[in-house]
Parts: sequence; structure tokens; C-alpha cells
Amino acid sequence: MSAVLEVTDLGRSFGGIAAVDGVSFEVQQAEIVGIIGPNGSGKSTLFNLLTSVHKPDRGQVRLFGQDITRTPSHKIARAGLSRTFQLPALFVNMTVRQNLWTAAVEGDWRGAPELANEVLELLDLAHVSDELAGSLSGGQQRLLEMGRVLMQQPRVVLLDEVAAGVHPRLRQTILGAIRELRSRDATFLIIEHDLELTQDICDRMIVMDAGKIVAEGSFEEITHDPHVMEAYLGVPAE
Amino acid sequence: MEGLAQALVTGILIGGLYVAISVGFSLAFGVLDVVDLAVGMWVVLGAYAGVKAHDWFGVDPFIFLPVTFVVFGLFGWLLGPLIYRVRTSRYALPALMGLAFTFGVATLIRGGMLTVFGYTPRTVQTDIVSGSWSLFGIVMPAIRVVGFLFAVIAVAAFLFFLYFTRTGLAVRAVAQNKESAGLMGVDVKRISSLVYAIYTGLTAMAGMLMGAVYSMTPELGLRYTLFAFFVVVLAGLGSVLGVLVAGLFLGILQALTTTYVGADYTLMTVFVVLFVILLVLPQGVSKFAKAVRT
Repeated sequence: MSAVLEVTDLGRSFGGIAAVDGVSFEVQQAEIVGIIGPNGSGKSTLFNLLTSVHKPDRGQVRLFGQDITRTPSHKIARAGLSRTFQLPALFVNMTVRQNLWTAAVEGDWRGAPELANEVLELLDLAHVSDELAGSLSGGQQRLLEMGRVLMQQPRVVLLDEVAAGVHPRLRQTILGAIRELRSRDATFLIIEHDLELTQDICDRMIVMDAGKIVAEGSFEEITHDPHVMEAYLGVPAE
Repeated sequence: MEGLAQALVTGILIGGLYVAISVGFSLAFGVLDVVDLAVGMWVVLGAYAGVKAHDWFGVDPFIFLPVTFVVFGLFGWLLGPLIYRVRTSRYALPALMGLAFTFGVATLIRGGMLTVFGYTPRTVQTDIVSGSWSLFGIVMPAIRVVGFLFAVIAVAAFLFFLYFTRTGLAVRAVAQNKESAGLMGVDVKRISSLVYAIYTGLTAMAGMLMGAVYSMTPELGLRYTLFAFFVVVLAGLGSVLGVLVAGLFLGILQALTTTYVGADYTLMTVFVVLFVILLVLPQGVSKFAKAVRT
């Protein structure tokens, strides 16, 4: 296995506060890595740095061996990296179907209508396909974000709390979609507060606190790690 | 009664050109997040391109229309990335810097034109369209009818591009959420340049036709900037469909003022109406229409 994503000493401060502070890790092909940590620990900022939504102050990001640290977002997306946002960033004045097509504007445009139909069926959004994205429920909006990711047929996927607020039945749908993509060798980084879900699907976990990685390992390992207990429960590490 | 009908028809005919001027302006605002204060100068420049095509080459300006679109589109294509750069800079107040930049462009064009062409009003001369038609006692100058038809075709082509093409979908995505559009693989900078190019080309073409209806001087750029601003604010900033209603409304308002009050009072009337509308419908007609529907 080779490293698909290599992050080295990545850092970004906002107004003197280090949101991400010297983060380094690697993700191998077809691996599903969960990132957990309390609110404000820098998880979403890390995603923003990986996708050039924010530029890092220091460090390096390599995707398939290529340096993408300061590459514009659209080139990163075209290189095969796709993501969702913690708060869905949809095109709210477009229909659900148009939102899906947008994800194929720079990809397989000819195949977009057919693929969009498959995605709509898979995510149980077919009955709202002609409604405006802005009129969907919060859970449906998350599904639509997941749908856009599927439309991009990515090789690396960053999911930011994609299952939060989604009906348990639809959560299974999302998990099914993740497994399906992984079976096609896609690699995942998943931010999730739901430990049950991460245990269910992740091969490995990264725990962040105050912008740094405080623990890394299997679900069993990190749930017994004193640093993780401290980060989550405020119990001092022995 | 006949006077009212005449004013309405005249207003609708000229309103078509206001729509053509404002529709690109509205989209450029949506995509670049900048109110382009040079919009009126593109109108005047387009008109002068028509005047000079006739003066220098003896070419009828209306044959020159497609060339105008290409040449001014090229200007826009070159200028668009600069506006994008100013607007997305990490320095303080990029929105204000964007405004200042387009104001600078407008000032530069105005000064340059005054130096080269002077203050004398000029009209675009065409031999292709002349005379007028009369229908039920209402006089319709041929040039205005042609201008209106041009506007209908140009705006229809523009809307087709926007709503029925792959690139149009990318443009709408950028107008709604740049960050998200970028992450869908859309090159926001390239789309911004493209939109600015289409906008300048379309506005200059409309300006050439406007110059055949009204005489032009470089000083009139500000007037057309204000008119475009009126239309876009009334439509609701960024609403392309609202522009259709607001542009025609401006034409009718102008014609009614000219008929019943006097042409000198046009600007005053326009701004009193804009003031009242902003008080009553601060989000423009499109949001109002949406609220009524739902």
C-alpha cells in the first residue's frame, strides 16, 4: 500500500490562535480514517487546509505524491479529492438534480443525468429531485452533499459530520455508499462525533485536541488512551 | 389615452435595451461580487465604436455589432482577472477596493474618451434601419423596434446560455457559492473572466443600439451606470429574471415622465421612485414576487 495523502507539519493560526498546529499523518489507499476530537479542536480547519479553502501558514500536503499545499481548490477537486462541509454548502437556489449535475460540470458531463438518477435513488432523494436544495430538511441537505461527492467519483473523500442529524435509516444508506466507494479503492477521512459510527466503519482513528494530534490508533487503542479521556472528559492524563 | 399608449410602447421598446444593459451587469455582480461602476462607460464606448465604425471605415454600425461583441468581450476577458484579483485579495476591505477599482476604470475610460472624442454629442448613423411604423395611431421608430428585437434575442441567448448549458450551470454555481463551486472542480477565476467578458460584450452591443436612439457623449456614462444600478436594485441584487421586469419598468417610467412632466425630470423621477421602492420593497421585486407566491 502507498500513502495517498501525506500531511507534514501543517499549521494555520487565526488572530494568534493556532487552529491547526503542526499536524502530520498519512493515509493509505482504500483506508478509512476517522478524525475525532472536541469542538474547536481544529478538525474542520484541517479539512479546509487540505482543500485550499484556507491556505496554511506552514507545512505540506501531498496527494498521490504531488504537492497540493497551495494548489487552488478546483485543481485539487479535479485531482480526485472531494469533500463535504459541516454545514452543508449547497447551491440553495438550484434544484437537487442541478446540484448533482454541478458536481459533473468538470467531469463526466455526458454520463451525469444517468449517474444523478442512480445517486438520487441510492440516497432516497428521487422524490425531491426537482425541489430547491434550500427547501430540504437538514438531513436531506447532508445526503445531497454526499450525493455531490458520489457524482464526482472521487479517489479521496473528506466527510465532515456527514451523518449528523440524519435519520438512522438514511445513515445506513450513507454507510453503504461509503463502503461501496471504498470497494472501488476510494480513501476516506471522516470527521465524526458519533463514536459508534466511527467504530463501525473506520480502520484507524486520529484524535485531535487544541489543533494537535493527541492520539492515533485503532478504536480500541484510542478509547483507552488517557490523552483522549482528557480531551473529551477533562480527566487529567496520568 | 393615445398619449398614454404611445408612452407605454415607447417605454417598452427602450426598456428592452435597458434589460440588455443590466442583465450582464447583474450577473457580473453575482459572480464577481462587485458593482461595476464602469457599466455606463461600456454603453458609451459601444456607441462610440458604432460612430467610429461609420466615420473611419464607412461600415454600417449594425454590421459591426458581432465585432463589437468580440472586441469588447476581449477587453472584459483581460480586465476580469484583475477585478477578481482585487476582490479576492487578503488585504483589508476587498469589497471596497473592488468598487474603487471599477470606479478607476470608469474614470480612465471617461477621461480618455473626452480627450480623444471631445464633448460634442454624437449619434450612431445607420442606413440599414430608417423611418418609422405606425400601428393604431402609435408611432414606432424603426430603430427602436430593431433595438428592442435585438435586446430580446440577445437576452434570450444569454438566458439560454445561463440555464441550459454546461458552462451556464458552472456560472450559476459560482454566483451562488464560490467555495463550493471550486470544490466541484469549477475554476472560479476562469468563470469570473468569462462572465465579465460576456457582460462587457453584451453591454457594448446594447450601447451601440442605444447610441442610434439617443445621442451620446462620454459624460453620459454616469447616467447609464445609474440606470443599470436602478434596474439591478429594483430587481433584487443578483436576480437575473427580476432584471427583465425592472428594465421594462425603467423604460416605461422614463417615457411617462418625458410625456407628462418633461425629459429634464427623468433622473429625478427615477430616483424618487427608486427611493420609494427601497422603502417599500427593500429586497427588490424578485424577492417580493417569491414571497407572494409562497
